Amino acid sequence: MSKVIRRGIGTGVALLLIGLLLAPAAFGQDSGEDKKVIYTLGSDNDVDSMNPFIGVEAPAYFMYGLNYDSLIGYSQEDLSPVPRLAESWETSEDGKAWTFNIRQGMKWSDGEDLDANDVAYTYQRVLDEKQGCCIDYISLIDNIEVPDDYTVVMTTRKPTTQLLQGFPYILPEHVWSKISEKEAKTFENYPDPVTSGPFHLSEWQKGQFFTMEANPDYYAGAPKIDAITYRVFNNEDAAVQALKAGELDFIDGLSANAFTTLQNQEGIGTHEANIPSFDEIGMNTGADDVIPDSDGHPALKDPIVRQAMSHAVDKEVVADRVLRGYGTVGETIVPPFSAAYHYEPPEEDVYEFDLDLANQMLEDAGYVDTDDDGVREMPGGGRPLEFRYYTRSEDNGTSKTAQFVSSWFEDIGIATNVEALTDTKLTNVIFEGNYDIFHWGWFPDPDPDFILSIFTCSQRPPGGIWSDSFYCDEEYDQMYAEQKTVADAEERATIVKEMQKQIYEAAPYIVLYYDANLQAYSTNWTGFKTQPAGDGDLLSGYGTYTFLSLEQKSASASNSGTARGIPAGLWIAIVVGLVAIALVVMFVRRRVGEEDRA
Amino acid sequence: MGTRSYLLSKVMQAVFTLLFILVFNFFLFRVLPGDPARILARDRGLPKEAVDELRADFGLTKPLPQQFLIYMQDTVTGNFGISFAFRVPVVDKIQERVWPTVLLVGVSTIASTIIGLLIGIYGGWRRGSGFDVGSLGFSLVMYSMPEFWLGILLLIALAAGAGLFPAVFPTGGIETPNADLTGGAKIADVINHLFLPGLTLTVAFLGEYALIMRSSLLDVMGEDYVTTARAKGLREALVLRRHVVPNAMLPTVTLTALNLGFVISGAITVETVFSWPGLGLLSLEAVDANDFPLLQGLFLLFSIAIVISNLTADVIYSYLDPRVRGA
Repeated sequence: MSKVIRRGIGTGVALLLIGLLLAPAAFGQDSGEDKKVIYTLGSDNDVDSMNPFIGVEAPAYFMYGLNYDSLIGYSQEDLSPVPRLAESWETSEDGKAWTFNIRQGMKWSDGEDLDANDVAYTYQRVLDEKQGCCIDYISLIDNIEVPDDYTVVMTTRKPTTQLLQGFPYILPEHVWSKISEKEAKTFENYPDPVTSGPFHLSEWQKGQFFTMEANPDYYAGAPKIDAITYRVFNNEDAAVQALKAGELDFIDGLSANAFTTLQNQEGIGTHEANIPSFDEIGMNTGADDVIPDSDGHPALKDPIVRQAMSHAVDKEVVADRVLRGYGTVGETIVPPFSAAYHYEPPEEDVYEFDLDLANQMLEDAGYVDTDDDGVREMPGGGRPLEFRYYTRSEDNGTSKTAQFVSSWFEDIGIATNVEALTDTKLTNVIFEGNYDIFHWGWFPDPDPDFILSIFTCSQRPPGGIWSDSFYCDEEYDQMYAEQKTVADAEERATIVKEMQKQIYEAAPYIVLYYDANLQAYSTNWTGFKTQPAGDGDLLSGYGTYTFLSLEQKSASASNSGTARGIPAGLWIAIVVGLVAIALVVMFVRRRVGEEDRA
Repeated sequence: MGTRSYLLSKVMQAVFTLLFILVFNFFLFRVLPGDPARILARDRGLPKEAVDELRADFGLTKPLPQQFLIYMQDTVTGNFGISFAFRVPVVDKIQERVWPTVLLVGVSTIASTIIGLLIGIYGGWRRGSGFDVGSLGFSLVMYSMPEFWLGILLLIALAAGAGLFPAVFPTGGIETPNADLTGGAKIADVINHLFLPGLTLTVAFLGEYALIMRSSLLDVMGEDYVTTARAKGLREALVLRRHVVPNAMLPTVTLTALNLGFVISGAITVETVFSWPGLGLLSLEAVDANDFPLLQGLFLLFSIAIVISNLTADVIYSYLDPRVRGA
């Protein structure tokens, strides 16, 4: 019996060894050849569509930005307008006629010429079909003309600076003109999209990764890397491990936790990027003006109550404890990212954290606690100041913030009922006006137009869609219309700052903080161009700068494109070995059984 | 009641269940809070007209009864509509993701069934032995452990390398991007990606099988016919193989058949941990986007799989234990 077992195990081991010898042969394709230089990024989200008229997710915009070009770009230093497809541009005296001179000799990826006709076609199509991607940027255009193949003239209804933004992306007329408005709604634009940018989408395994190959003929110079791969990781821990293992070269949007663990790791760098983003506590300043049956708390219509609440939030503590210090205290609705337009209130206007002052303000305004239950009532006694306070179940930080904020509010005699809602549910209650206060955030464009628009009267539901405070002020609306139609950038900035000042004083929002985008990268690469210069996004999110200059230091240090795991031969050997051992054991047991019977 | 009428009644039950699901499916997703057009628009400043147009495109402006009729008509003719979020036919989207799920959950269900049953039989038969006590503890711990946690532990240990564990396996996905592998190396690449999530699910599932098999085996071992078999002088191995195991298998058949039905619906948490591009993950994405057509398609598919596996269990059961046919 022992002899049989020994022989069986011997066979199994022998097969394992043979497998090990065969392994390199089965795995041979991977070695020897010139390895492509591929930069690999990780994200928690996939592209929803390669069709710029459909996609909404951030990775989709990342993809469009590298596959297509816009007329105007954002500069790396400060996001001011710079030439991209348009080599130069002029405006008429009245600020209504815009002449763009298009670069010559450019080609689409299929060899066709890219010229002024493609530009005019794309703009006209966005206007005609009111394409959501970009209509907002160009809605003032009245007429588009193409005097020659390298000139586009656009006339706007009013003077504006709005055309100088990096949207829309220019699409090839010879492809898109064959796709009707109806077809465009389901057109995938993959495989074989016709592109013009520094990279070209070559492979897309949906839900897993996509690869974009460098365009050697790009007008601004060929990228130094061969390709970019963008991988979807649905789990942050896994992405962090992948970065450590060299499967990834870059991840961003990290949590404070993961970011901290990646600091001081050999071969990994970390960066807190300044991005256009803020979180706020929004208030229902009077939804019942437009939605009569909504049930917002009447006290929040009073600016004094909102100002007192602004004095009762210690933003330093929130930034420190919730963001763990990764981010800065926030005040106004245009983030410092948009440096030219950001308004920083002077020190004497800032809402200092002062609970006594807040209490005094409420007391003076007649909000007194008449029944001694610790909660103030409306002037003249009546409804207590008890607010529904909604946080987001999708974002833990909002619930953490609520723990601090609700206790401060308690100190000034305002009771809160904190409840976490899903984003869809929260969107819904806001749309119906059935809320008091909530915590959410925005990620505005570099241009302040959109974020300013959400406080205009016409954006209030049900007629509008973007107002979540139901703020409405005639003077503000006038300024909003004015800033849209001022041809001088500095003059516009003055108005934009005045608008922020008004919102800050009226306090429909308590802007809590400007959060940073936490990025981690392999130090095996050089050539990062932060946008804006200094503390901005390492990947220059509003341009192609980083990806045009990125270079690998050492080819051997990169694991991208290398299959990890056990080679094929070894798998075969393991399986065959296990089966052999199992067969032997069974055989032996049967023999033993026969012996027992005898 | 004869075999034929028994089968007929089971099939009728299955058909009625499916019809009910078909109706329920429509209303379930429409009572979800939120407006899909608005959610899609949230990421960019869509003007109101564009949102209204989206709503019209999705057929959401029509009255509910009319939407229902269109839905029934489309479903019967095999048209599951266009996904709101991805704007491709729902059928395409599901096809794209179904095989990874079948591979992952299928392999782990089969492996955990076989290993779990063997552990249960061996432990139950040698009740109180070291193996029994050890395997019972192991099964209980694995049965109650959250799958995603086990997954993350395995990921940290074997994909990133920690302490004595070597960093061997890939961290996520189903294949290595840009590796340009062919033939055996490509299959091995998929197996390597499958290994950690597969191991997680196998270990997580097998506890249940081992526990049920063990307790069922213990029940049967006390039966008179087992005593009779021993009295006849049968060897212990034969008593186990011929009399105990076949009778103890009944509850596990139901469990296995039902679990096979769940193969298709995937394992949301494990698919998330390992970024496995399967249907579980797709359902999650569809819920996030309030993607009614995609959710309806997925839900219908999952329901059909469960109903069919239930039916299969009933049929197999009637052959294994003829008594149920007469009941």
